[in-house]
Amino acid sequence: MADGKLFGTNYIPADLVAKVTGQAKYAEDFRAEGMLFTKLLLSPMPHARIRSIDDHEALAMEGVMGIITANDLPETDNLVGSDRALTMEPMYQGEPILAVAAVDEETAAAAIETIKVDYEPLPFVIDPLDSLRPGGPNARVGGNTIVDRKEVVEIKWTAQDFEEADDSMPMGEAEVEWEVGDVAKGLEEADLVLDETLYHQSQTHHPLETRSCMAYWQNDKLYMHVSTQSTQRTAGAVARGVGIDPTQVVLIAEYCGGGFGSKIAGTVNMPIAALLSKKTGRPVMHRVNREEENAYGRARPGFQGRVKLGFRADGRITAIDMYLIQDNGGYGRSGDFTSASRCASLNYTPLNMRFRGISVLTNTPTRAAQRAPGGVQITAMLEPVMDKAAKELGLDQFEIRRINAPDNDTTYGSNEHHVTSAYVREALDKAAEVSNWAELKAQSGQTNGSKVTGVGIGLSSYVAGSRGFDGLMVIRPDGKLYVHQGVGNLGTHSVFGTARVASDHLGISWDNTEVVWGNTSKHLPHSAVQAGSQTTHAHTRANLAAAIDMEKKLKEVAARTLGGSADSYVVAGERVYRRGNRGSGLSFAQAAEKAIELGGTFDGHEAPEDINDWTKGAVAGLAGQGLVGVAKDNYGGEGDLWSFVIGVAKVEVDRETGAVEIQHYTAVADTGAVMNPRGLAAQIHGGGVQGFGLARSQKWVYDPKWGVPFTQRLYTAKPPSILDVPLDMRAGTVDLPDPQNPVGAKGIGEAPFGAGVAAVLCAIQDAIGEFDLKRSPMTTDLILNQLEGVPQPITVLATDV
Amino acid sequence: MSIFQWAQNPWGQEILVRISWDLLYLAIAGGLAFVIGHFVYRTKNPPKTAEAPNIGDAGKDIPEKVVRHSLAARLFHWVMAVSMITLLVTAFFPILGIQFNWVPVHWMAGVVLTAAIIFHIIHASFWLKLRNIWISGKDWAEWKQEMEYALGKGEPPPKTDKYPVDHRLYHNAVMFTGLGVIVTGILMMSRVENLIFPRNSYLLAENTWGWVYLIHGLSAVGLVGLIITHIYFAILPEKRWITKSMIWGWITKKDYLANHDPERWVVTDKASK
Amino acid sequence: MAVIRDTMAEFDLFQPASIDDALALKRRYGKTSWALAGGLDSLDWFKDRIKRPEVVIDLSAVESMRGIRDIDDADGVEIGAMTTLTEVAEHAGILSRFGLLADAASKVATPQIRNQGTIGGNVTQDTRCWYYRGGWPCYRAGGNICYADTPTAINREHALFESNRCVAVNPSDTAPALVALDAKFVIRGGGGEKVVAAEDYFITPATDITRMTILEPGELLTSIRIPGTWAGARFYFEKVRDRQAWDFPLVNIASAMKISGNTIEDIRLVVNAVGPRPLRLTDVERQLKGQSVTEEVGQAAGELALLGARPLQHNGYKIPLIRNLVKRAIRGTGA
Repeated sequence: MADGKLFGTNYIPADLVAKVTGQAKYAEDFRAEGMLFTKLLLSPMPHARIRSIDDHEALAMEGVMGIITANDLPETDNLVGSDRALTMEPMYQGEPILAVAAVDEETAAAAIETIKVDYEPLPFVIDPLDSLRPGGPNARVGGNTIVDRKEVVEIKWTAQDFEEADDSMPMGEAEVEWEVGDVAKGLEEADLVLDETLYHQSQTHHPLETRSCMAYWQNDKLYMHVSTQSTQRTAGAVARGVGIDPTQVVLIAEYCGGGFGSKIAGTVNMPIAALLSKKTGRPVMHRVNREEENAYGRARPGFQGRVKLGFRADGRITAIDMYLIQDNGGYGRSGDFTSASRCASLNYTPLNMRFRGISVLTNTPTRAAQRAPGGVQITAMLEPVMDKAAKELGLDQFEIRRINAPDNDTTYGSNEHHVTSAYVREALDKAAEVSNWAELKAQSGQTNGSKVTGVGIGLSSYVAGSRGFDGLMVIRPDGKLYVHQGVGNLGTHSVFGTARVASDHLGISWDNTEVVWGNTSKHLPHSAVQAGSQTTHAHTRANLAAAIDMEKKLKEVAARTLGGSADSYVVAGERVYRRGNRGSGLSFAQAAEKAIELGGTFDGHEAPEDINDWTKGAVAGLAGQGLVGVAKDNYGGEGDLWSFVIGVAKVEVDRETGAVEIQHYTAVADTGAVMNPRGLAAQIHGGGVQGFGLARSQKWVYDPKWGVPFTQRLYTAKPPSILDVPLDMRAGTVDLPDPQNPVGAKGIGEAPFGAGVAAVLCAIQDAIGEFDLKRSPMTTDLILNQLEGVPQPITVLATDV
Repeated sequence: MSIFQWAQNPWGQEILVRISWDLLYLAIAGGLAFVIGHFVYRTKNPPKTAEAPNIGDAGKDIPEKVVRHSLAARLFHWVMAVSMITLLVTAFFPILGIQFNWVPVHWMAGVVLTAAIIFHIIHASFWLKLRNIWISGKDWAEWKQEMEYALGKGEPPPKTDKYPVDHRLYHNAVMFTGLGVIVTGILMMSRVENLIFPRNSYLLAENTWGWVYLIHGLSAVGLVGLIITHIYFAILPEKRWITKSMIWGWITKKDYLANHDPERWVVTDKASK
Repeated sequence: MAVIRDTMAEFDLFQPASIDDALALKRRYGKTSWALAGGLDSLDWFKDRIKRPEVVIDLSAVESMRGIRDIDDADGVEIGAMTTLTEVAEHAGILSRFGLLADAASKVATPQIRNQGTIGGNVTQDTRCWYYRGGWPCYRAGGNICYADTPTAINREHALFESNRCVAVNPSDTAPALVALDAKFVIRGGGGEKVVAAEDYFITPATDITRMTILEPGELLTSIRIPGTWAGARFYFEKVRDRQAWDFPLVNIASAMKISGNTIEDIRLVVNAVGPRPLRLTDVERQLKGQSVTEEVGQAAGELALLGARPLQHNGYKIPLIRNLVKRAIRGTGA
């Protein structure tokens, strides 16, 4: 177990100066001789079939070097399971149809305008419920849902389903269903039953850096500068998209201006630059603009939901009966809604639970995981209902979460899994303490002129770790430790933080540690994707394993060089020496030289059997360069890794204008042992701020007649600005290690998001009373209408308005 | 010069928006060219005044003041004329650069015109004679003869019914263009805020709206030309006797006999048709 | 032709150093030219390839259009049209005498935009109706339809007053403040100089549905003069928006009141983002003269302000919002 000298302390990440001074090069900053520029022709219609394309004028234009369409992509027999870079049947307004490579962007854009595309408009769907109605349109020819990621089927509900529902959400035939216990009985036994119809919006990821990329070929190898969350794992995705072998790809991705799940590995547009480069024989830059980013840059699916919750008088949830209609976009089947059911099951540990769901195709951007997929939505939807129940039962907001909170013995989900650790009650207590809840609660309902104060909390969770990846490091003859990370630098700095575990274990200073990252030609090990908040957990373990291997080898090298048994040596102070005789022994630099002499497993000429093939290749690449430490994370474990965040918010609502000021936000995490306190606070607060956006201003707006969006620019999409963030922001952690990670750490990336949405929504509800429309975002106009008794212009389930 | 104005709709499809305003200038130019051309020709070839034949006793029952247009007919004409001028001014002055709040005045004048036309259709159908606007094969020969005589060739054409062929041709033209602007105009009211029915810009399909605006525009510029010529003829000295009848309602017996055939346009009944 | 909303199309760029040169260029190139101030409106249009002037006349080098100076024996100020919003918001003289304008200017967009955006541009800016900005062929774009006023349209941010086929709103924050301060706009053109009252600078669709102001193609707004009339009066400015920065107003209000004791001697009251031009509430002003500054008076004024409002499907919230903002302008926030 690490001493925790570096692990657990703040540090300056290696990329900081480059980022702040502008020296950091992102994908769109690269230039190469003869480089061409790309512009895309995007579909103007929400759904259409392309009958023909006449691009002869464009091809004849001076400066235009090549054009590709979907016909130039690698063959596939599954056009519905996932989208591709280009299409002949656009499934949403903005989906790319063809790409032009020209000597400059002006020429490419002018060329696009000369192209004539003959479209056959097809029926389209924006609101999932429209498609479920008998006789309603389908987003795809042939159906409105995709099963098994390849088959399009049609599911229509009956007129009776809709009639029976009245103003609530109808609940017709489901696609997915599971039940644990007996929900009907649980509701019967309840002292309070709530039946709520709820809505959560779909939303774009909005990374500040768009997913531009630059590609060129050399000797049959594809070199790409990309924007991606991962690194090692992205190479494979690029290879698949282009139709080549992963060994033919060199990926350079040192910086990433945000991804939030939309750039986990490859992004759908990467093949465009690669294929245009192949076709034209020149380097090609595809600089993605904000409109494209909002089109194919991915999005979180929205839900229309109906939930029945049964409560005992003491607040214990006897049953949750949950039905979610998922707004799926046009391809595949998003897993958000089933993840949502798992989150609800875990957060509230209901005595009985049933989940039903259906994922309906719509002609809107393709969905992908967005920071806590499913978790954010269900947290935002259910937490205000919990507050409503608390109020009706005469309980405090903290009380009602405490009594339902998971702990280390909880089982959850349809298959009743265990978690490795869940210190939620501790987190609740700490959140109450850090936020000074007693004082906040006292301000609830207080008025200040036209303003009224509201307070709220939000309990949010998300998965937080995986196992079984490889760590790889080398001590070179310069005496420094080079930790090779296949982990991407997506901005969380886990690429640096997880390396500190190795430095700690080997007792080497951070100054003498170099992290090697960002370029797949630099011999990177098989790593987790940077998604699912798994990196901190997975790579503290993997790097610890590799460090332990390194330590073992240091001792053996010393023993073979200086005699005695390896056990008699210790590693400390950047040396390996016989116990009690610090003066003897080898420096790390010397050990590295010796390792090279010894060869075999010491310097990477031989690698362990159980590591991933990719890592084996990396080890082989490092052979002969120093003392190599490499190992697979074999620590094993049982149960699922989850982290939890409690958010606490105070808002002031102006009853005369509907304006909301968020005045206080505290977030406390149960995330195992803390790797980097400042980084953790940034994650907790950053995710929380994203939550503020979903709670207050961010939504999609589509014109329902044309199926065209209006929120594709940042000034219309309205993510929160720094001025929407309160000055009083506090963070805390429970700091109880996860028992199954030798390092004790769990991941934290995702859990904070839902807490932010929920705490703010709950606080607003506390201020103005139960929402007449239980939906997000709770914008100024909806709040004012409610306060003034103006009928709301939309129904609770209205989509993208 | 273009005939149509196109645009790209939200789906990038080419749609017809309206006629090109070049056609307005064409209609004005055309109308003026006709008027100037006619006036020049007329100056060189002054029109021959028709003589009233002496029919003696046969004309004893013909009144001294022959009623040509009843009060109802005259009121209709002037209401229509004023509303029509208002419509044309409100429609085209802004295009010519004179800006003012024209839309409400335009549709209100349009409502007035519509009411007047509805009145006229009923009134003309049941109280007046439909043959007054009907053109048959025989009329073409007469018209040809009339035109040739006007150009100085051939014999004077026979005296006419109440409305000579060219009048009836003109009425047909105004009828079609008038109905064109009215029917399309009523539909177009749903594109703006009006006090009569709710606004619904999506009442018709986009392509259909294109046709509606096309017909409205073509009819409207057509009316510009037609009205220029109509007003010109109305103020020509040799036609003023007709113009006066649209104000006072009657023509002199002399003018009646000089221009009309008493067997064709019978006026000895109490009410002339 | 396929549509692409990316990459500016070519234009000839002129950077005149004087107003006369700029006007000469405007005369020469007429309707194919475009005057560029801070660019925060223009560049959006250019980058979307919706508006493509052949000639762009960049005014950034016209020094005589910059700066704030005292006029009328230091009672009033004259602000060059190319003065940035940051300069206006931070100018000592404006802060002390015409705080209303400083307040309004400081709430426009973001600090970065205020550093580059000009006051002339802010009052002359085009509307932000998303149908129009999306390049749809609506009335304002020369077509014959309003997409925002249809049974299915999303018109949350659109107009309730003075709409005439078009329901877009004027989005400026400084415009209502300048109307409230009885500012005068100085326009230079082919025929020399003309000075118009602020409220006469703006037009409605009834006059010309394709523009927001009276500026003709050959004219430039060169400066804005604020007379000393309302200096030091009691001001109120409030902008209600969805987030705290980088947002156009849902509704904003600017008022200047001369108070004696507790009585309103004179008042100018202007609401914006509710119609195609800043709406000066003259009926309400007349009513308020001689009344006391109380909640009840404010409430009655708010009700009166609503006469003639015609809400659309999604903007009904603007009714209580206007009423309450008028009330607050009279009463203060009561905080």
